[in-house]
Amino acid sequence: MQRLTFLGAARRWFRRAGISGQLLSLLIVIAIFAIGTKGRFLSAANLQVILSLTAIPAIIAVGLHQVVVLGGIDLSVEGVVALCVVFVGLLLQNKLNTNNVGLWIIPVTLGIGGIAGFVSGVCNTRFRIPSFIATLGMSWILWGLAVYVSQGQTVALLDARFQGIVTGTVLGIPILAIIALALVLLLQAVQDHTRFGRYLYAIGGDEVLARQAGVKVEQIKIIVFTVAGLFYGLSALFLSTRLGSSQAITGNNLLFPAVTAVAVGGVALTGGIGGAKNAALGALIVTALNDGLILMHVNPYAQDAVNGVVLVAAVALTIDRRKLGFIK
Amino acid sequence: MSGSAVYALTGITKSYPGVVALDGVDFSVFENEIVGLVGENGAGKSTLMKILIGLVQPDGGTMILRGSPVSLKDPADAIRYGVGMVFQDGTLVPNLTIGENLFLCHENGFEKLGFLSSRAMRKAAQALLRQVKVPDDVDTPVAEVAPAARQMVEIARLLWLSRLYQQRNPILILDEPTTVLTEGERDTLFAILNEIKREASIVLISHRLQEIVENSDRIVILKDGRNVTEVAAASARIDQIEQEMVGHAFSADRYREEEQREPGSREVLRVDGLAKRGFFEPLSFVVREGEIVSLVGLVGSGKEEVCRCLNGLSRADEGSVSLGGRKLTPGSPGDAVASGEGHIPIDRRSEGLALGMSVAENVNLLVLGRLRAGGLVSPSRERKNAEQWIRECRIKTPSAATLCANLSGGNQQKTVIAKWLSSRVKLLILDHPTRGVDVGAKDDIYKLIRRLAQEGIAMVVMCDTLEEDLGLANRMLVMKDGKLVDEVACPPRRKPGPRDIIGLIV
Repeated sequence: MQRLTFLGAARRWFRRAGISGQLLSLLIVIAIFAIGTKGRFLSAANLQVILSLTAIPAIIAVGLHQVVVLGGIDLSVEGVVALCVVFVGLLLQNKLNTNNVGLWIIPVTLGIGGIAGFVSGVCNTRFRIPSFIATLGMSWILWGLAVYVSQGQTVALLDARFQGIVTGTVLGIPILAIIALALVLLLQAVQDHTRFGRYLYAIGGDEVLARQAGVKVEQIKIIVFTVAGLFYGLSALFLSTRLGSSQAITGNNLLFPAVTAVAVGGVALTGGIGGAKNAALGALIVTALNDGLILMHVNPYAQDAVNGVVLVAAVALTIDRRKLGFIK
Repeated sequence: MSGSAVYALTGITKSYPGVVALDGVDFSVFENEIVGLVGENGAGKSTLMKILIGLVQPDGGTMILRGSPVSLKDPADAIRYGVGMVFQDGTLVPNLTIGENLFLCHENGFEKLGFLSSRAMRKAAQALLRQVKVPDDVDTPVAEVAPAARQMVEIARLLWLSRLYQQRNPILILDEPTTVLTEGERDTLFAILNEIKREASIVLISHRLQEIVENSDRIVILKDGRNVTEVAAASARIDQIEQEMVGHAFSADRYREEEQREPGSREVLRVDGLAKRGFFEPLSFVVREGEIVSLVGLVGSGKEEVCRCLNGLSRADEGSVSLGGRKLTPGSPGDAVASGEGHIPIDRRSEGLALGMSVAENVNLLVLGRLRAGGLVSPSRERKNAEQWIRECRIKTPSAATLCANLSGGNQQKTVIAKWLSSRVKLLILDHPTRGVDVGAKDDIYKLIRRLAQEGIAMVVMCDTLEEDLGLANRMLVMKDGKLVDEVACPPRRKPGPRDIIGLIV
């Protein structure tokens, strides 16, 4: 009996979790490349590369996906990361000036990201600007600031502590991947087992009904945008320390993989479906796909095209067309 | 019905721009009773319900709830006083599970150190579902639950909430709860309601008078935003209630019957064996030149879907619709319009008009081709055409360039009609043409409808009241439970009374 209820609970969880399609896609990607590269894809070294390359897109995607669950979109990641990276370069021990704030850089980058997200959230809720425009505008404002503050230069970093974290491994697993996994599990637990999570999905399911039931919609939305900013800020810290240098363009080309990861993970663009685990799995699939294409020496431009197809196909499979009156 | 009222409303008034929805209505709910609320569409039932739960604030009147005067801010406020409503289209969030919906926004009791105890919630949810006899698992997303069970979940939620706020004898308001139910489910619903009655009061709104008479203790009848009468259900007769609902005499010539014309001989619309599974069974009819055919039936009788199939918004499973002898492409609104079919929708704000565009732009929308000069739309022709139709349809607007959003409901409706008129339609489908329009504008619209008929345009109408249907129509098609059950001729001066028809409908 005990075992039966456990199985039942497991089945229920699996059915509701909505990740079976993603696990299947991942298996297919792995199978194709394992055969295509004659096993090289599955080598320990390559798996370590995949995990390490997945971590940062996963952190970004996990931050972004909650906005999508609300039924909105957040396009601010590139600007937020650019500005954070510039501050990392100027404040952490570097070759340009004598600053060295050490661990204090963590609250600084998280603060920049959090404030940016908070402002986007306020614009979206209080001033009723569509999230698409509020966050796109935010991205360009911060990008402009980043270039202005850094005067366009590249700053080499000297701090070894952070370098150790982002390049190190524990039992062969990259530390970054462990941090990303911990964040995913934490956020997933919050989504499944707290009132915040419940309200997040209620708003995504039907904002009018959620409001009618008494959900403080504006408050939840602002929190979601702020959390997204915090995740972008964290990823900026990892990105710049991994590169060992800081420049504004580090933020470029982060948005597309993140949105693709969110869509591939099964987070519906129409809102209300998909959690942190979906976003992270999506990031893993996209990274594995690109890694495999590189190993098979596919032309890089063709890889971009493949990613575009994957994004559109994933959205086609996940959106709930009943919710869309018009497609714009 | 013993003791004092739990909830007493007196002299409630509410008006919307152009319409008085409620005009001094009194309504009380006593302990442990089921009170039926009946009235035609537009009688003010739904406005009254919305006032009861604070979704709408009355303009005047007093509301006394559990002995003290209240003014409710919103439904969440009403719940704290133990008053809740089960809406026709449901208030459960579809992507959340039954259990999550039951306690939505009231999870405090299940929280430990910021985290919710899913075990405690599941246990409480299961107990609630047992009370309302819902067999589904509490972890099923509501989107996958049958309508009957959803309703029960809502009822369970309301009962639980009033217990949470320590309100004895909660008041549950059910709006047309049986329209989505099968016969068996309906019986179960009423069995459960009668059980709940021991600890609660229930306000029941339904078009099915039979079930109101059988299941309520008291019946309140509204007409045109006023109380007509109140009867004890035990002594009520259905035909007597019907009479009260539709009223007695016709006002002299409200619908301009004198101008009703004999239909021409040419067929405009021919519907042949049209059927759509789950909505209506095969039906055929013909509408001739200048003829007004009214489609009557309850909400859910299938008449709305028939209209949707006629104008291509929905696709029928079988059968055909022909306009002027040519078969229309099923499910193509574009083909319907191109063939000369016009549609005046019930919700003109979202479907009939571009509110952000001017009167002239709306009127000319369908005839831009005709207003061209040298390949481009000519502003002077555009202005001339618009001004002509504004005059002819008596649209009261400061100018042709005024935005439609700034017109009253009646003038918006006249703009919609003008748009179709100027495009020289052959057939017009009018879906509640006088909904939300004041008396004066109603008369203008009736005049326009008569003129359309004089010009040979065939019309299919669905009206707000049976009276209006009878007054306007040459012929009436009666639908019931998805079947075309009868056809009634309505010649001028010898029209049947509403009472003759309502028996066929209910």
